[in-house]
Amino acid sequence: MIEFLGVYRQHLDDWLPELLIACIGTLELMALSFVLASMLGLAVALMRVSRSRLLQGVGIVYVEAMRGMPALVILFLIYFGLGGLGIEWLKFTSYQAAILGLGLQGGAVLGEVFRSGIEALHHGQMEAALSLGMTPATSMRWIILPQAARIVLPPVANYAIGLLKDTSVCAIIAAPELMLRAKDIASSSFRPMHLFVLAAVLYFIMSYPLSIMARWLEARLARGR
Amino acid sequence: MPAEAPHFWAVFWAKLPYFFSVLLGAAGTTIKVMLGALAVALTLGLVVALLKLARMQLLRAVANVYIEIMRGTPALTQLFIIYFGLSDLGVDIPPVPAAIIGLGMNGAAYVAEIYRAGILAIHEGQVEAALSLGMTPVDAMRFIILPQATRLMLPPLCNYAVSLLKDTSLASVVAAPEIMFFARQLVTETLLSMDIYLIVAVIYLAMSIPMGRLVAHLERARRAWQ
Repeated sequence: MIEFLGVYRQHLDDWLPELLIACIGTLELMALSFVLASMLGLAVALMRVSRSRLLQGVGIVYVEAMRGMPALVILFLIYFGLGGLGIEWLKFTSYQAAILGLGLQGGAVLGEVFRSGIEALHHGQMEAALSLGMTPATSMRWIILPQAARIVLPPVANYAIGLLKDTSVCAIIAAPELMLRAKDIASSSFRPMHLFVLAAVLYFIMSYPLSIMARWLEARLARGR
Repeated sequence: MPAEAPHFWAVFWAKLPYFFSVLLGAAGTTIKVMLGALAVALTLGLVVALLKLARMQLLRAVANVYIEIMRGTPALTQLFIIYFGLSDLGVDIPPVPAAIIGLGMNGAAYVAEIYRAGILAIHEGQVEAALSLGMTPVDAMRFIILPQATRLMLPPLCNYAVSLLKDTSLASVVAAPEIMFFARQLVTETLLSMDIYLIVAVIYLAMSIPMGRLVAHLERARRAWQ
């Protein structure tokens, strides 16, 4: 054990700055795919609660397909699959593919979260808004979404925690983030255990505040009811 | 694109049976890893849940630390520690057992929370009523608590199983010969990345969508029952 920790004392000054820079890559990846997932998720949720059968169908197929596949398969389809077709505008860098892949999958997850948030509100809310002379779009914007946002906050926070951990999968398509950097240093220094434990610690430091926030939101919402 | 399309589909149809046979063969390992990890998670999860419900504060703390660490770090990192890390320290675990242990230990943290919520959801009055009817504590657990808790826990447990199925794809990075592992090999052989990963997607969907349907059905049954 002492020997194990001794290695850290010797090398931590070299490793930590590199891994911390990689953490920024991880957080950036997370933030960008979160933005993409939120936008897609809102679109998917609106499709699924719409009156049009066609839009509902598209929403369902999207959700089932994206949630039914491992993130790794989606990433490979985008990075190697599309990239291998030989069409210029479908060639993404590993970083772009990572954002796109996580965002597409997150769109399905958040789509379901948003939909359940919208459906949790009583129908009377929409009827009341409409009978006050609001258009369906204005009532959605001013009456339904603000209330639904409060309901969906805890599951969205939980999704964000999952997303942070899922960014590690992007190392497999060589997107510049923490796990990839840890792997690189592990193979050049021949110290895999030290590097991967260090990576785990860094992931934990990033995810723990999020999970505390998620629990706080859950408790607050439970009290509010 | 028009110039490429016929070629793409021609190759696709010609190679389809071969790709399918290889990948479906690998699906056996995927299912093996999934069932193995599920067994580890269900057993270890029960231990963690009981620790978390224990009266002694130390035991509760142990369970909490376990759950926080497992849920706070990526499954991929955990697999790397178990496979590459331990092998560096002289403990060599073959790929499939390493994947089963890694995914199982990770899942135990989630399963423990499901068990705990299920047990806590049954009102204390139920036990008291059973005991006052003359049942032994074991009988009460067997005939009163568990049947009700099972119905509560089944939908989230099946949900976990679906996400576990998808997580088995991570086992390919520790060289467990499952679907993704063979898919990557086929791509190196043939360079037909789009074709092969589309087949992989179809195989995963064929497994996960029926499981998802089952979860939705159980969820409805639970709501009807409550």
